[in-house]
Amino acid sequence: MITALVVGLVQGGTFALIALGLVLCYRGTRVLNFAQAEIGAASLFIAWIVVGAWHKPYWMGALAAIVFAVLVGLTFERLIVRPMAAASRLTVAVGTIGLFGFLVAAEAYLNGPTPRFLPPPIRGSIDIAGVAVSYTQLLTFGVIALIAGGLTAFLRRTDFGLGVLASAQDATAARLVGIPQAAVSMFTWGVASALSALAALLIAPTITYFGPNAIGPQLFIGGLASALLGGLTSLSGAIAGGLVVGVLASEATQIAPNGVAGIYTVVLFAIVVGVLLIRPQGLLGRAPARAESA
Amino acid sequence: MSTLQVADTSVQPAAAPPDAQPAPSRRGPLLTPRRSNVILVLLGAILLPTLTYRAMPLLPSTYPLALAVSTSLAVGALSLNLLVGYAGQISLGHGALLGVGAYAAGIVTSGAGWPMWIALPVAAAISGLIALVIGFPALRLRGLYLAIVTISFGFMMYNFVLQWSGFTGGSSGVNLVRRLWGGDVLTAQSDMLAAGLVVLVLAWLLDSNVTRSKLGRAFRAIRESEPVAGSFGIDVARYKLLAFVLSGALAGVAGALYGFTLYLVNSETFNPPVGLDFSLLLLIIVVVGGLGSRAGAVIAAFVFEMFEFLIGDRFGTSSFIYGIFPMLGSLLLMFTVAHHPDGFAGVVRERRGHRRRKLAAAAADESEHPMPVLPSMPRPAEATRTLDLAGGVPLLDVEGVSMRFGGLVAVDGASLTVNRGEIVGLIGPNGAGKTTLFNCISGLLRPDAGRVRMGGRDISTLSAHERAALGLSRTFQQIGLAKDQSILENMLLAQHVLAGYGSSSALVYTGRVARSEEQMRARALEAITALGFGGREDVPVRLLSGGQQRIVEVACALLTDPDLLMLDEPSAGMAPVMAESLADRLRDLRDSMGRTVLLIEHNVPLVLDVCDRVYVLTAGRVLAGGTPEEILAHPEVINAYLGEAVA
Repeated sequence: MITALVVGLVQGGTFALIALGLVLCYRGTRVLNFAQAEIGAASLFIAWIVVGAWHKPYWMGALAAIVFAVLVGLTFERLIVRPMAAASRLTVAVGTIGLFGFLVAAEAYLNGPTPRFLPPPIRGSIDIAGVAVSYTQLLTFGVIALIAGGLTAFLRRTDFGLGVLASAQDATAARLVGIPQAAVSMFTWGVASALSALAALLIAPTITYFGPNAIGPQLFIGGLASALLGGLTSLSGAIAGGLVVGVLASEATQIAPNGVAGIYTVVLFAIVVGVLLIRPQGLLGRAPARAESA
Repeated sequence: MSTLQVADTSVQPAAAPPDAQPAPSRRGPLLTPRRSNVILVLLGAILLPTLTYRAMPLLPSTYPLALAVSTSLAVGALSLNLLVGYAGQISLGHGALLGVGAYAAGIVTSGAGWPMWIALPVAAAISGLIALVIGFPALRLRGLYLAIVTISFGFMMYNFVLQWSGFTGGSSGVNLVRRLWGGDVLTAQSDMLAAGLVVLVLAWLLDSNVTRSKLGRAFRAIRESEPVAGSFGIDVARYKLLAFVLSGALAGVAGALYGFTLYLVNSETFNPPVGLDFSLLLLIIVVVGGLGSRAGAVIAAFVFEMFEFLIGDRFGTSSFIYGIFPMLGSLLLMFTVAHHPDGFAGVVRERRGHRRRKLAAAAADESEHPMPVLPSMPRPAEATRTLDLAGGVPLLDVEGVSMRFGGLVAVDGASLTVNRGEIVGLIGPNGAGKTTLFNCISGLLRPDAGRVRMGGRDISTLSAHERAALGLSRTFQQIGLAKDQSILENMLLAQHVLAGYGSSSALVYTGRVARSEEQMRARALEAITALGFGGREDVPVRLLSGGQQRIVEVACALLTDPDLLMLDEPSAGMAPVMAESLADRLRDLRDSMGRTVLLIEHNVPLVLDVCDRVYVLTAGRVLAGGTPEEILAHPEVINAYLGEAVA
């Protein structure tokens, strides 16, 4: 139970990072990014090339993965999102699905079906109140807390951050008061992509071996359920949602009888449907009627 | 004006001259939608399978399989196009819905031993039912929630339900038996192809019945704007759900066809480890083919599948070009949304769009004319009124309505009455809460307090579309029309509440549907001709001037034959010449058509000129109400609002 709780919190933390990225893109450019997790999942293969194939230190692989993810995000932002600033949000969402499909197909083609393994950043574990917690898990908590706190503070305390948050409500008004929309768009997509790579790097030790299309969908559905639970527009909601969803999914896997794999997918689906039925505005979001019409 | 009407080759009953009909036909041209339906069915059921059956031996033996797979993909593409292309809702779990259909067909044919032609409707029913269940929570809301629910659903299906060995056979999957009846089994793939083509024709037929009935119009209106659709009396949540259920049922059929073609489905069939997930593949097909284009979806399905097959056949499935196919498909999807959002069909349409542009040119620059006389448009005799109007009570009775937005009180205990046959004005400074009060009356907003009664009946708890069906019709300050649609389409949409048929008869396009559609079309064209738009009924509303759009909007409101017509600043967007004639048109509404009007207008002299009674609203409260003379004499009104404007 307690071990599952620790695993769930780690997993929930990565869901929270994905959810933060989703909320950021949604608020900055009113786009629901269906490739949010796959950008990070694809960049894991870059980390593997650096660490696993070239035998460089872990930090170099992680850095390469993050840089790659940011490049993918910025390229997509420049080529698809920005030219479509006036297009219907439904169409842009379909574009992100195209990016998702492209990344999955590229992983499958370039890597093939071979599963890859990325060693954890730090080995070893520590005993906390009778539960073995690995240093990697501790590092994960630290990174997530740092990012969640730092990003939220940046967005709420700086003029630029407030501009990002204002853009979602009224892009025209935000532009009129001097918030550069191109910069907001680049910032949200760049940061969201970096968050995606971080989430993938942090969940990789839990999953051990990963193949194409393995980590992305799981991270994405978890992050999506978390963002929805948090209210789809709320930063703190995304973080809280991520932790709740991660723990629930982990506990469900723990309770399920042996041989019943994938029970957590039922939990994620139930959370999505439950939120929509009971509290569509999520824990901390605004009323759903304000949700952007596609 | 009607001389502009050039010969139209499409099947439009009213466009053909009346003398074109043969003697036995009571009315209408030779090719009514119903008759073309029958022809299509005959063509599909007899000709296509026969032809393919004859042609297949001429092709290499692998072709029938590839073509049969293409056929099931085409049905799947029609299914997704109905949802995304018409109703504007995304499903990212369509592959899983295909899977549900395929498993259902497998379980009833190999498990229960049913013949395959019974398995297809069973697959449709089960996938449709699942769509109903998962669509319900998402489609009540506005936004991308269906995409969120369906992607989670697909994830659960692939990773849990279809892996579950007890029920769905796990990775070994389920067999589909192609038994027709008795011991007859469809063995050859060319037979399967012929059967698939019959199903594709039926699906095409169903889809075309959707598009030319009120269902398709409602879907398209929802895609463009949910609030506008709602104000036309369309139950938006219900129609979105209907679109998803229809789409789900078709997806089930597509999955079953695919399964019958392969004989076997397992957890990887619709979510292959290499290659595109079916949800994504179908989305690429319908977007690249052209969202909303039936032919685009079907052609793209065949082109994609046959292209992949031919590449594999020619260069081998381990070749470079075959391997990058999924990447190319995804890139094509991104390219299409960014550069040609209407897809291939949109490009073709643009190339052929000269006539429409000419019509549009003819439509412009007429705003300097006075407003034409509005047609009265009583409703057809068989469309009965649902509201029983009791005598002696006001037609509209608003009592103590309050509406708050956060800390702002927009309407504060406002009461007013409108009697039958009156024109009642509502005036007040900007921000007084006039439009908010209108929204409370028409049902777009649910007030925090107060009652709204119509003909004595309390309608406070009814939604906007229910109030519209009761005979309450309104216009909007910002023109409440589906602006991407044509004038005719808007006027047909306006008659949504009058359509004398249900959704299920629309799917088979019964004689009743045909008659009702013909009647609505005739009324619309009558109104269009009366307004001087004859011959330009196909011009999209957004190409008209502000004044022309207003005329169309008011005419749409009149087409519902409303008991109460609510006009929110009709003069907004009108050129001065047209605005001057507005007073006469408003008087026509009352005097020669016997309509009852509630009017918001900033043009105070106009209001005082035409209205029987006037209410003045300031800061959400009714400051005064009475005849124009009483209002003019009211000292508070003069102070608060009129000031020197009328002095």
